[in-house]
Amino acid sequence: MTYAVGDTLPPFTIESVSPEAMKQWAVFLADPNPIHLDAEVVKAKGLGDRVINQGPINVAYMMNMLMRAFPGGRIAAMDSRFLDNVYGGDRATVTGKVAAVEGGAVTCEFVLEIEGRGMVNSGTATIET
Amino acid sequence: MSDLDDLPPAPPAAGTSLDGTAVFTISAEENAALCRSTGIEPAADGTAHPIYYYIATQVAMGKTVAGVCEACEFDVDDGPMMGSSGVRFDAPLQVGESYKVTGEILSLVRKRSRKLGVMDVLTYRLRLHVLDGTQVLETDNVWVLPRKEFAA
Repeated sequence: MTYAVGDTLPPFTIESVSPEAMKQWAVFLADPNPIHLDAEVVKAKGLGDRVINQGPINVAYMMNMLMRAFPGGRIAAMDSRFLDNVYGGDRATVTGKVAAVEGGAVTCEFVLEIEGRGMVNSGTATIET
Repeated sequence: MSDLDDLPPAPPAAGTSLDGTAVFTISAEENAALCRSTGIEPAADGTAHPIYYYIATQVAMGKTVAGVCEACEFDVDDGPMMGSSGVRFDAPLQVGESYKVTGEILSLVRKRSRKLGVMDVLTYRLRLHVLDGTQVLETDNVWVLPRKEFAA
Protein backbone atom coordinates (compact mmCIF):
# COMPACT_ATOMS: atom_id res chain seq x y z
CA MET A 1 0.00 0.00 0.00
CA THR A 2 1.32 3.43 -0.96
CA TYR A 3 0.64 6.56 1.04
CA ALA A 4 1.22 10.26 0.45
CA VAL A 5 1.58 13.11 2.91
CA GLY A 6 -1.80 14.01 4.40
CA ASP A 7 -3.39 10.61 3.74
CA THR A 8 -5.46 9.24 6.61
CA LEU A 9 -4.74 5.74 7.86
CA PRO A 10 -7.42 3.10 8.43
CA PRO A 11 -8.63 3.41 12.04
CA PHE A 12 -8.24 0.64 14.61
CA THR A 13 -11.02 0.21 17.18
CA ILE A 14 -11.38 -1.71 20.41
CA GLU A 15 -15.14 -1.90 20.98
CA SER A 16 -14.81 -2.45 24.73
CA VAL A 17 -11.55 -2.28 26.67
CA SER A 18 -11.30 -5.57 28.53
CA PRO A 19 -10.71 -5.90 32.29
CA GLU A 20 -9.75 -9.51 31.60
CA ALA A 21 -6.95 -8.32 29.33
CA MET A 22 -5.70 -6.09 32.15
CA LYS A 23 -5.38 -9.19 34.34
CA GLN A 24 -3.30 -10.84 31.60
CA TRP A 25 -1.11 -7.76 31.28
CA ALA A 26 -0.48 -7.64 35.02
CA VAL A 27 1.28 -10.96 34.44
CA PHE A 28 3.00 -9.91 31.19
CA LEU A 29 4.37 -6.78 32.90
CA ALA A 30 5.06 -8.50 36.23
CA ASP A 31 3.26 -5.52 37.79
CA PRO A 32 0.21 -6.31 39.93
CA ASN A 33 -0.79 -2.67 40.52
CA PRO A 34 -4.38 -3.00 41.84
CA ILE A 35 -5.70 0.01 39.91
CA HIS A 36 -5.66 -2.32 36.89
CA LEU A 37 -7.38 -5.16 38.71
CA ASP A 38 -9.85 -3.86 41.29
CA ALA A 39 -12.37 -1.07 40.68
CA GLU A 40 -12.75 -0.59 44.43
CA VAL A 41 -9.09 0.45 44.64
CA VAL A 42 -9.62 2.91 41.78
CA LYS A 43 -12.60 4.40 43.66
CA ALA A 44 -10.63 4.59 46.92
CA LYS A 45 -7.85 6.51 45.18
CA GLY A 46 -10.35 8.93 43.63
CA LEU A 47 -9.30 7.95 40.11
CA GLY A 48 -12.70 6.87 38.78
CA ASP A 49 -15.03 3.93 39.18
CA ARG A 50 -13.62 1.39 36.72
CA VAL A 51 -10.29 -0.40 36.37
CA ILE A 52 -7.61 1.54 34.48
CA ASN A 53 -5.92 0.08 31.41
CA GLN A 54 -2.15 -0.33 31.69
CA GLY A 55 -0.44 2.38 29.64
CA PRO A 56 1.52 -0.04 27.43
CA ILE A 57 -1.76 -1.63 26.24
CA ASN A 58 -2.73 1.74 24.84
CA VAL A 59 0.61 1.87 23.04
CA ALA A 60 -0.11 -1.60 21.65
CA TYR A 61 -3.44 -0.39 20.23
CA MET A 62 -1.58 2.41 18.43
CA MET A 63 1.00 -0.06 17.14
CA ASN A 64 -1.81 -2.29 15.88
CA MET A 65 -3.22 0.56 13.81
CA LEU A 66 0.21 1.13 12.28
CA MET A 67 0.87 -2.56 11.58
CA ARG A 68 -2.50 -2.93 9.85
CA ALA A 69 -1.96 0.23 7.81
CA PHE A 70 1.49 -0.92 6.66
CA PRO A 71 1.38 -4.70 6.08
CA GLY A 72 4.93 -5.97 5.73
CA GLY A 73 6.28 -2.72 7.17
CA ARG A 74 8.30 -2.35 10.36
CA ILE A 75 7.97 0.21 13.13
CA ALA A 76 11.45 1.73 13.31
CA ALA A 77 10.71 4.38 15.93
CA MET A 78 7.74 5.50 17.96
CA ASP A 79 7.00 8.13 20.59
CA SER A 80 3.83 8.11 22.68
CA ARG A 81 2.42 10.61 25.13
CA PHE A 82 -0.02 9.68 27.88
CA LEU A 83 -2.66 12.33 28.43
CA ASP A 84 -5.45 10.57 30.32
CA ASN A 85 -6.57 7.18 31.55
CA VAL A 86 -8.38 4.49 29.56
CA TYR A 87 -10.94 2.56 31.60
CA GLY A 88 -12.46 -0.89 31.37
CA GLY A 89 -15.45 -0.80 29.03
CA ASP A 90 -14.24 2.23 27.08
CA ARG A 91 -14.59 2.23 23.29
CA ALA A 92 -11.11 3.15 22.03
CA THR A 93 -10.23 4.18 18.49
CA VAL A 94 -6.82 4.95 16.99
CA THR A 95 -6.72 7.29 14.00
CA GLY A 96 -3.73 8.65 12.16
CA LYS A 97 -2.36 10.35 9.11
CA VAL A 98 0.85 10.47 7.11
CA ALA A 99 3.08 13.39 8.05
CA ALA A 100 6.10 12.71 5.83
CA VAL A 101 7.38 10.26 3.25
CA GLU A 102 11.09 9.96 2.60
CA GLY A 103 12.49 7.08 0.62
CA GLY A 104 11.12 3.93 2.21
CA ALA A 105 10.30 5.63 5.48
CA VAL A 106 6.85 6.98 6.34
CA THR A 107 6.32 9.21 9.36
CA CYS A 108 2.84 9.14 10.89
CA GLU A 109 0.97 11.09 13.56
CA PHE A 110 -1.81 9.39 15.48
CA VAL A 111 -4.12 9.67 18.45
CA LEU A 112 -6.04 7.29 20.66
CA GLU A 113 -9.49 8.60 21.49
CA ILE A 114 -12.19 7.35 23.83
CA GLU A 115 -15.80 7.67 22.78
CA GLY A 116 -17.36 10.50 24.76
CA ARG A 117 -14.10 11.72 26.31
CA GLY A 118 -11.73 12.45 23.44
CA MET A 119 -7.97 12.08 23.13
CA VAL A 120 -6.08 10.09 25.77
CA ASN A 121 -2.84 9.26 23.92
CA SER A 122 -0.99 10.76 21.00
CA GLY A 123 2.17 9.91 19.17
CA THR A 124 4.40 9.80 16.15
CA ALA A 125 6.12 6.90 14.47
CA THR A 126 8.39 6.11 11.57
CA ILE A 127 7.57 3.02 9.54
CA GLU A 128 10.07 1.35 7.24
CA THR A 129 8.07 0.03 4.32
CA MET B 1 13.18 33.53 42.80
CA SER B 2 11.96 30.17 41.51
CA ASP B 3 8.62 28.84 42.72
CA LEU B 4 10.55 25.72 43.77
CA ASP B 5 12.94 27.57 46.07
CA ASP B 6 10.88 26.64 49.12
CA LEU B 7 11.15 22.93 48.32
CA PRO B 8 14.00 20.47 48.84
CA PRO B 9 15.62 19.30 45.60
CA ALA B 10 14.65 16.05 43.92
CA PRO B 11 16.63 13.05 45.20
CA PRO B 12 19.92 12.43 43.33
CA ALA B 13 18.69 9.42 41.36
CA ALA B 14 20.35 10.24 38.03
CA GLY B 15 22.97 7.67 37.13
CA THR B 16 21.33 4.82 39.00
CA SER B 17 22.04 1.64 37.07
CA LEU B 18 19.11 -0.36 35.72
CA ASP B 19 21.29 -3.09 34.22
CA GLY B 20 19.53 -6.41 34.57
CA THR B 21 20.76 -9.91 35.19
CA ALA B 22 17.54 -11.67 34.16
CA VAL B 23 17.01 -13.08 30.68
CA PHE B 24 13.67 -12.39 29.02
CA THR B 25 12.45 -14.86 26.41
CA ILE B 26 9.43 -14.08 24.26
CA SER B 27 7.36 -17.24 24.16
CA ALA B 28 5.06 -18.03 21.25
CA GLU B 29 2.23 -18.79 23.65
CA GLU B 30 2.48 -15.49 25.52
CA ASN B 31 2.97 -13.47 22.33
CA ALA B 32 -0.20 -15.01 20.89
CA ALA B 33 -2.17 -14.26 24.07
CA LEU B 34 -0.83 -10.71 24.15
CA CYS B 35 -1.69 -10.04 20.51
CA ARG B 36 -5.23 -11.36 20.95
CA SER B 37 -5.70 -9.30 24.12
CA THR B 38 -5.13 -6.20 21.98
CA GLY B 39 -7.42 -7.23 19.13
CA ILE B 40 -5.06 -8.74 16.56
CA GLU B 41 -3.67 -12.14 15.62
CA PRO B 42 0.05 -12.87 16.09
CA ALA B 43 2.29 -12.39 13.06
CA ALA B 44 2.99 -15.48 10.98
CA ASP B 45 6.60 -14.51 10.23
CA GLY B 46 8.03 -15.13 13.70
CA THR B 47 8.17 -11.51 14.78
CA ALA B 48 6.78 -10.65 18.20
CA HIS B 49 4.42 -7.79 18.92
CA PRO B 50 6.60 -4.65 19.08
CA ILE B 51 5.07 -3.67 22.44
CA TYR B 52 7.48 -6.22 23.88
CA TYR B 53 9.94 -3.32 23.75
CA TYR B 54 8.23 -2.06 26.88
CA ILE B 55 7.41 -5.39 28.50
CA ALA B 56 10.82 -7.03 28.06
CA THR B 57 12.73 -4.00 29.27
CA GLN B 58 10.49 -3.51 32.30
CA VAL B 59 10.50 -7.16 33.33
CA ALA B 60 14.24 -7.78 32.82
CA MET B 61 15.69 -4.47 34.00
CA GLY B 62 17.72 -4.51 37.18
CA LYS B 63 14.98 -3.08 39.41
CA THR B 64 11.27 -3.67 39.81
CA VAL B 65 8.87 -0.79 39.24
CA ALA B 66 8.75 -0.39 43.02
CA GLY B 67 12.55 -0.46 43.08
CA VAL B 68 12.83 2.30 40.48
CA CYS B 69 10.42 4.37 42.58
CA GLU B 70 12.47 3.61 45.69
CA ALA B 71 15.60 4.90 43.94
CA CYS B 72 13.65 8.14 43.52
CA GLU B 73 12.59 8.06 47.21
CA PHE B 74 9.00 7.62 46.04
CA ASP B 75 6.47 5.09 47.34
CA VAL B 76 5.03 3.10 44.43
CA ASP B 77 1.68 3.09 46.26
CA ASP B 78 1.51 6.86 45.73
CA GLY B 79 0.86 6.17 42.05
CA PRO B 80 3.58 6.79 39.47
CA MET B 81 2.04 7.85 36.14
CA MET B 82 3.38 7.27 32.65
CA GLY B 83 4.18 10.53 30.91
CA SER B 84 5.70 9.36 27.65
CA SER B 85 7.52 6.47 26.06
CA GLY B 86 9.80 6.42 23.07
CA VAL B 87 11.54 3.55 21.29
CA ARG B 88 14.08 3.18 18.48
CA PHE B 89 14.32 -0.32 17.04
CA ASP B 90 17.51 -1.63 15.45
CA ALA B 91 15.82 -4.93 14.63
CA PRO B 92 12.39 -6.54 15.04
CA LEU B 93 11.72 -8.55 18.19
CA GLN B 94 11.47 -12.28 17.59
CA VAL B 95 9.38 -15.01 19.16
CA GLY B 96 11.66 -17.56 20.83
CA GLU B 97 14.54 -15.08 21.18
CA SER B 98 16.10 -14.28 24.54
CA TYR B 99 17.09 -10.78 25.60
CA LYS B 100 18.83 -8.93 28.40
CA VAL B 101 18.64 -5.29 29.51
CA THR B 102 21.03 -2.48 30.29
CA GLY B 103 20.05 1.01 31.32
CA GLU B 104 20.11 3.84 33.76
CA ILE B 105 18.09 6.68 35.24
CA LEU B 106 18.85 9.78 33.19
CA SER B 107 17.23 12.44 35.33
CA LEU B 108 14.83 13.24 38.14
CA VAL B 109 13.56 16.80 37.98
CA ARG B 110 11.25 18.49 40.49
CA LYS B 111 8.49 20.63 38.99
CA ARG B 112 5.30 22.30 40.05
CA SER B 113 2.19 21.66 37.95
CA ARG B 114 -1.17 23.41 38.13
CA LYS B 115 -2.95 20.05 37.83
CA LEU B 116 -0.74 17.78 39.96
CA GLY B 117 1.02 20.15 42.34
CA VAL B 118 4.64 19.27 43.10
CA MET B 119 5.93 16.34 41.09
CA ASP B 120 9.20 14.72 40.14
CA VAL B 121 9.66 13.90 36.46
CA LEU B 122 11.69 10.71 36.06
CA THR B 123 13.42 9.87 32.78
CA TYR B 124 15.16 6.54 32.35
CA ARG B 125 16.74 4.76 29.41
CA LEU B 126 16.79 1.03 28.77
CA ARG B 127 18.44 -0.96 26.02
CA LEU B 128 17.48 -4.47 24.94
CA HIS B 129 20.19 -6.81 23.70
CA VAL B 130 20.29 -10.34 22.38
CA LEU B 131 22.54 -12.52 24.49
CA ASP B 132 25.64 -11.94 22.33
CA GLY B 133 25.37 -8.27 23.27
CA THR B 134 23.94 -6.93 20.01
CA GLN B 135 21.51 -4.11 20.77
CA VAL B 136 18.04 -4.44 19.26
CA LEU B 137 16.37 -1.34 20.70
CA GLU B 138 16.67 1.64 22.99
CA THR B 139 13.74 3.12 24.90
CA ASP B 140 13.33 6.28 26.97
CA ASN B 141 10.43 6.39 29.39
CA VAL B 142 9.17 9.35 31.39
CA TRP B 143 7.15 8.87 34.55
CA VAL B 144 5.49 11.52 36.66
CA LEU B 145 5.83 10.99 40.41
CA PRO B 146 3.29 13.20 42.25
CA ARG B 147 4.77 14.44 45.55
CA LYS B 148 1.69 14.57 47.73
CA GLU B 149 3.82 15.36 50.78
CA PHE B 150 4.43 18.84 49.35
CA ALA B 151 0.73 19.58 48.76
CA ALA B 152 -0.21 23.06 49.90
